[in-house]
Amino acid sequence: MKIKGLIFLLAVFQLFFTVEKSANAGRGNFGLGPLEVRPQFLVNQPFLAMSPENTQTLKDGESRLSFGMEIANTFVNTQGPTEQITKTEVARGLTLTDFLDKDGNTVKGFSLYLDAESKRKKVKYRYGLSDSLEFKLELPFISFDGGTMDSTIESVHSLIGISNFKQGGAYRALSERNQYAYYVVKDGEFVYASTQQIYNIRGEPSIDLKWNLSEGGKVMPAASLKISYKFANDDRSGEQQLIRSGGVDWGHYFILSKGFDNWVVYFGDGTTKIGNNRGFASTLNHQFMSMEYRFAEEDSFVFQTVSQSSIFPTSSASSRSTSGENQEQRNSNLSVPTSVSAFGYKFLSGALFWETGFVQDYNNFNNETDFVFFWEMGVRW
Amino acid sequence: MGNGGSLVKIKLKLILTGVCLFFFTYTGLCAQETLVYLALQYGNQDTGNPAPVVGTSDSYLSTLADTHGALNENREVLPKVLSFDFYKTSGSFASGFGLEVHSYNKSYSFENDSSSVNISAVGLLYGLNFYYRGDYWYPFLGFGTGNYSAKVQEQLTSGSSTTYGTVFGQVDKPFFYKFGFRIPLNGMGLVFTQQYISADLNVATENKSLSLGGTASFVGLYYAF
Repeated sequence: MKIKGLIFLLAVFQLFFTVEKSANAGRGNFGLGPLEVRPQFLVNQPFLAMSPENTQTLKDGESRLSFGMEIANTFVNTQGPTEQITKTEVARGLTLTDFLDKDGNTVKGFSLYLDAESKRKKVKYRYGLSDSLEFKLELPFISFDGGTMDSTIESVHSLIGISNFKQGGAYRALSERNQYAYYVVKDGEFVYASTQQIYNIRGEPSIDLKWNLSEGGKVMPAASLKISYKFANDDRSGEQQLIRSGGVDWGHYFILSKGFDNWVVYFGDGTTKIGNNRGFASTLNHQFMSMEYRFAEEDSFVFQTVSQSSIFPTSSASSRSTSGENQEQRNSNLSVPTSVSAFGYKFLSGALFWETGFVQDYNNFNNETDFVFFWEMGVRW
Repeated sequence: MGNGGSLVKIKLKLILTGVCLFFFTYTGLCAQETLVYLALQYGNQDTGNPAPVVGTSDSYLSTLADTHGALNENREVLPKVLSFDFYKTSGSFASGFGLEVHSYNKSYSFENDSSSVNISAVGLLYGLNFYYRGDYWYPFLGFGTGNYSAKVQEQLTSGSSTTYGTVFGQVDKPFFYKFGFRIPLNGMGLVFTQQYISADLNVATENKSLSLGGTASFVGLYYAF
């Protein structure tokens, strides 16, 4: 009897581990996918931006409807080192004089004063046209306001020894918390100058077509190609110009994924072509790498890094100066590519799915959002 | 049978259960298992020695040297490398994925004047690795890409004038390949790596390329989960 009990106990353990192995074997080169978050930098918002995505597509006839929100805190003060723009100047309203260099000369290239929280709400619908071809429609609604995260971010900076009076802390201490201001200057002229907060303005819709070229095998990775297209909306009156480009954009992402039992890694390389660039970059390049650890079939932890070229094209700003570091020389760095890292959690069970996470700009080149918190949830049938 | 016999039975049962549990859970004896390694390595990297096949010679520092004199320092840097790898084994062979962070600083000065250039670089590299699991050592090779972020600070003297420049930059698509071996020692171990990295940054002030990669040799400790 006791021997039977022992055998039963061992059988239960064996069954447990066998089932776990079977589940792992079935996962192949697909997981729950990378974190589907696009660049949130304010100046990028009117344009199409490719987001990382799974290589796997919905099956023929399957649908998925979801709602998500990306909350991004952006603070850039290119005049911070000379303290030309502080709470006093922002309170009276910035003028072009504030963007001259400390000797009163016009600065070539781009200068920025961005202090905003953006909330990009999105409705997505996906449909499986076949077992390997998926269609997606996305409609964004965008808000720009002063937000609530500034004091928390400044406290975290202080906690880890970063001064909010210096470059590492983006000169945040020079400005009021939770204020909204959006100024972009190019070659001494305003491109954008706004302190009018906006709420839930409908952005330009986009559609995607994703084709799973191969599910891969034990050696070869799975491969997919995604093509995206953003429609143009000519109505750019008032503050709507901040969230609509009025031009057609399109882009592509080539995505690979490879599974190693509980781990799945994803790589992507893509490009966005901007139809009406409004003086900004006409082409954006993107790369991403994601590492997904699958706790179980239903949920995963994802680490992700995304590189992208700058929305600011190379300008005539001189990268050298003869009088110490100056505004123009510093601002010339706005055109360099940058990277962000992201961490997140994904859940998919039955008809429900959910993902959440955050993104952090670790380069601090002033051309990317400091911090993004995002979530998305939906149903499939 | 007295209490002694009963105690032996219980011990025997516990040992049997323990042995069986060990065999069911010890994935080292299974056909497949997944291993995770965390490693910290140090070494030297010759940024002036391009990676064979994939690397090219850079020209940024040599262009400055034409004006300000030869470099007083060699092109070797001393990176710290923190890496995270996971592997899926199949018999004696294993394939996996690795993520590694490289960081270093280097200051250069020139023979003819007081000009100086300071370079700080951080590389986030990732790629595929392949292992052979021998009895006492695990040789491996790997390749991949990632990105390098760098800050180049110049202070260049010419006669009585000095020009200043601070250039940030990122290499979007570096390429690296490497080989080496691990020596396991009870969950921890030693890792030796020879790595070749092609990562050329265009420095805007001179519009010339600066190699952030090159040929590197690292040694370090790893911990296996």
